[in-house]
Amino acid sequence: MSTLSKPWLQSRFPLLDSFRTYLTAPVLPREKPYLASLPVLIAGALIFQLLSGLVLSLFYNPADAFNSIQFIDRSVNYGWLIHAFHETGTTMIFGAVYLGIFRALWLRNYKAPGELLWFLTLGKFLVLLLIGYLGYVLADGAVSYWSLANSIAGAFGLSGVPGGIGVWFFGGPDGAGTLPRLAVFHGVLAVAIIGILLLHHAARRGAEPPVTRGVSLHPYYTSQIFAAFVIYALIFAVLVFFAPHLGENPLNRGPANPLVLPVTVSPPWYLLPLSNAGHVFVSAWGALFAVLARIALLAALPWLDRSAPGKPPGFPHKCLSLVLALDVILLCVWAMQPSSFIGGILLVLFTAYYFFHFIVLLPLTTALEAR
Amino acid sequence: MAESLGEIVHETEVIVRRDFLKILNAAAGAVAVGAIAWPFIDALNPTRDALAIAQPIVDVSGIAANTALRFVWMGTPIYIRKLTPKQIADNQFVVTSTLPDPASYTDRVKPGYETFVVVIGLNTATPCELLGNDPADPRGPFDGWTCPCDGSVYDPLGRVRSGPATKNLVIPKFTFLNDAQIQFG
Amino acid sequence: MRRLLLAGFALACLAAPRAQAEDTLNPPHWQSEGVFGSYDKAALQRGFLVYQTVCAACHSANALHYRDLDGIGFSTEQIAALAAGVKLSTGPATLDDAFKNPYPDPQAAAAAFGGAIPPDLSTIAAVRPGGTRYIFNLLTSYAAAPADFLPLPGHYYNTAFPGQQIAMPPPLKDNQVTYADGVAATSAQEASDVAAFLTWAATPNLDASKEIGLRAVLFLVFLAFIAIATKRKIWRETV
Repeated sequence: MSTLSKPWLQSRFPLLDSFRTYLTAPVLPREKPYLASLPVLIAGALIFQLLSGLVLSLFYNPADAFNSIQFIDRSVNYGWLIHAFHETGTTMIFGAVYLGIFRALWLRNYKAPGELLWFLTLGKFLVLLLIGYLGYVLADGAVSYWSLANSIAGAFGLSGVPGGIGVWFFGGPDGAGTLPRLAVFHGVLAVAIIGILLLHHAARRGAEPPVTRGVSLHPYYTSQIFAAFVIYALIFAVLVFFAPHLGENPLNRGPANPLVLPVTVSPPWYLLPLSNAGHVFVSAWGALFAVLARIALLAALPWLDRSAPGKPPGFPHKCLSLVLALDVILLCVWAMQPSSFIGGILLVLFTAYYFFHFIVLLPLTTALEAR
Repeated sequence: MAESLGEIVHETEVIVRRDFLKILNAAAGAVAVGAIAWPFIDALNPTRDALAIAQPIVDVSGIAANTALRFVWMGTPIYIRKLTPKQIADNQFVVTSTLPDPASYTDRVKPGYETFVVVIGLNTATPCELLGNDPADPRGPFDGWTCPCDGSVYDPLGRVRSGPATKNLVIPKFTFLNDAQIQFG
Repeated sequence: MRRLLLAGFALACLAAPRAQAEDTLNPPHWQSEGVFGSYDKAALQRGFLVYQTVCAACHSANALHYRDLDGIGFSTEQIAALAAGVKLSTGPATLDDAFKNPYPDPQAAAAAFGGAIPPDLSTIAAVRPGGTRYIFNLLTSYAAAPADFLPLPGHYYNTAFPGQQIAMPPPLKDNQVTYADGVAATSAQEASDVAAFLTWAATPNLDASKEIGLRAVLFLVFLAFIAIATKRKIWRETV
């Protein structure tokens, strides 16, 4: 009778061997900053969102959305806490995503061989925005009801392929079937993003330069990621228990009223960097073009940045990144103000600067740096 | 022998000091995970309105004397009868040893609310619903309930008096919230 | 050491607001305000009495159920008795019924008020900017209109309402209710109490949230120190 040389479980489940290699192979750089664990934190936070969303979906009723959420808050054991987890989790995840994108711009992580990783980052960002927006309209509050009505009107107003896609997505004018459909999309996309996360992670190993004298994931980086996660959880706990409605329009905490249009119909804060295009380009086609152009410029960064690959960013590049971040923040802030003459001019200026940065300033500065 | 023991103790001391932090880290992390997991698990427990179905409240102020209210609780018919003074007098001092299933008056009613009898309206022999809630129904010789299936006779307190049944009517779990409302469960 | 100081400071802040039953009207403030504030159950019970007597005649609060009143400090028997006094279309109310809606549908409400439907009060303190303070100001800011201001018919001059004219007639008068705990029921006191009650109605779990939050934050600060120390120890050991 032959005895197996490997232990019982490992001989029947070879994946455990690959997992052990993954944990103990000394391939990681000797020093990575805490912020480098942002993608792992975002992945963990998304799993947490999935779990809280799963519990919420047990009680959420898209046919009577606002009242079902009130039921969750008042009558489900710890329902208020699960709801707050889900809301604050969204704020935290988008904060981390924007921080990660800014960090990639700052450190020039999109250069070769990191282009695929960069595209996956942008793809993850866009899917997350869609998931977030769907969650926002599912709440059926006074503001998100009208935001959805505007989006559907906009989608139906477009013609051609974009119009077709918009109509297909919403499946008809705003009616009884809209929220149930969007609820399913919200859940399906949330599960699909796990797949994008896995692709993103697999691409990251290819994006980093090979390391000669490396350290293993466990215990070095597992302890670092754990510490980073505790700090993330600390910020999360402060927000969830003491300011669970941060960044939310307070009007949205009341029920939807088809007869009353709120003074400002604003999207959630994380959509502002893209949606402020709607304040400058008033037509639906213009706004769509602006949004697509801004994303395309971000995606084209590996080629717009003319510096040599592997060269760390210099002082001019870092300055430019900071100014761009400031520009986007100011765009968001000004988009939230009531419209005024000065405000309108500033919005146009800030939007123009965004395009100016990517098309002119960045290639110029990096080309000069490379010389 | 003593030397090697001393070495072992020293080794253990060194290991505990070095690993104490890691163990504390892991333990505190586990506590955090458990604390976070509890709201998720508890959220799946019955909600506060599930009690409305499991522990309903019935208003009994509208029941006239000598009639009974029929109320269905999770599929089971419950009879809430208001007794007349004559029915109380007839049944209060019956010698319990003469009954097929001995039970006294005080066993069958709640203290302070002695005019109400609350029973499950099913015959304890064959599962058949009883007649006798309405004064016009066949109530049998004791002015209580009768079973149309096997002829068992019950008195107004729900005690079995004759027939194939040998057990008194089951009293469900309930409390009087006040003079007008009963909560079941 | 820092952790102990933080815990001590937090506990001191927790202890302070509950110390005495002080005058909450000059200046108007509520025990639930602030990072460590908690609801004053006595004020909530008084506010519920005002709500039931005055506001519930015209306003609905569809998200609230009578069973939720145990959060104010009433016992089950008290709530059952309270609810039994409310006549719904299906009979007396029970614990599990929603607060009575004075009108069967919005059309009936609109017909009764000339189109100005009284808003649902379940979440009003969360929706109106300023919350508790706004409700208090609204209820106490009715005044005689200045000479050059003519309110629309059916409207009343109110300095706190955007536009300065509101369709709700002044709802509160002195001694409209008699408080069981003996507090003087001036209209300002009634306004303060009903504002506290409506704040509770919008966020009933504020106390639990702050309590759990304090424990969670303290624990996570402790865990952060341990985690960072472990990471540095592990890295120092072999790298």
